[in-house]
Amino acid sequence: MKSEKLKGNLDMLLLAVLAAGPGHGYSIITRLRDRSSGSFDLPEGTVYPALHRLETAGLLDSAWDVVAGRRRRLYRLTAAGEEHLAREAREWRAFSGSVSLVLGS
Amino acid sequence: MTDQAPANEAGGPVEDYLDQLLLSLSGPPRYVRHTLAEIEAHLHDAVADELTAGRTQADAEQAAVARIGAVRAVTGHPALFTRPSAAVLRRTALAGSLIGGVALVAYAFSAVISVGLAALRGAEFVSAPFPPGSYTSADCARWLAGDAATHSCITAMTRDHVGDIVLQGIAAGLFGLLALLAFWLMRQRWQDRGTLTALPVGSAEAVGAILALLVAAVGVGTAVDLETVGRGLGAGQPIAIALAALCAAAFFAVRLYRGVRTTRWIAPA
Repeated sequence: MKSEKLKGNLDMLLLAVLAAGPGHGYSIITRLRDRSSGSFDLPEGTVYPALHRLETAGLLDSAWDVVAGRRRRLYRLTAAGEEHLAREAREWRAFSGSVSLVLGS
Repeated sequence: MTDQAPANEAGGPVEDYLDQLLLSLSGPPRYVRHTLAEIEAHLHDAVADELTAGRTQADAEQAAVARIGAVRAVTGHPALFTRPSAAVLRRTALAGSLIGGVALVAYAFSAVISVGLAALRGAEFVSAPFPPGSYTSADCARWLAGDAATHSCITAMTRDHVGDIVLQGIAAGLFGLLALLAFWLMRQRWQDRGTLTALPVGSAEAVGAILALLVAAVGVGTAVDLETVGRGLGAGQPIAIALAALCAAAFFAVRLYRGVRTTRWIAPA
């Protein structure tokens, strides 16, 4: 997938990944790649500014923890993040359905 | 004390990336510390995955850095600073010792020429005497005490100055030889292509030749001025420096020619 398209929807995708449970940066990227069957393979560093931005917006919360003997920053969805994700997902499905209808005709 | 740096200071793609990131991150100190720790953990995870996939440590680090992308991916802007590579530092040390060594030896050579000119045209031609009133009778007495062959204060003074030029030349020559010895030793030690090609081939020689030609031009200009305005008093030393600088320029030019001619034998690193 074109990286521009991916970046345009990165916030929603990160929220969706974290809806399944908290995770640190590397695990979020791995889950994003796995859940997209390898389609969403962007430079891994680009995820961090997005995570920080979402945290600043109050959609994510983070805390330092030790996982597998290494200090990591764990991100989790906030209540506001859950609401935001639900709204974004609705809008995306509606948009995607409309695009599919047009393409299908 | 050991010759080898500790493993965590030895460098490598991951350490270099983190250095670059640290220098490029801006914002509150806590944000900088947290982001750096976060990216470091990420890179260690990525390296561990690459090692599990069968890569060597060096390849695993290279792959992890490639995967995370440029520093701008993390910071949102291009890297502000980059640390010069060890190869560039080594190549710069080689260039500096070569140029400095040749310059000092050339100065020593100019002292030899000055002595020759003083013998031919007198010490006043090499070193202009101080203007009357700028020295005391005690100075005269000291100069005369050091030169039993003359009763002239001016002659004793200028001969003393030529003696100073000789002493400076000897010191410069010794330091120059030490610098060239250092160059030779470093050149023997650093034979890798990374160092040899860190700077353009012949760059040190080109810089040396240009500097030497500039010194020669200034020397000639000063000598002409002293010949026409100052009746030649003191013109000898700038002439000697100009001649020595021309020799240094010729030396650098020959090295530059040889270096460029053999460039095709050095493949890029």
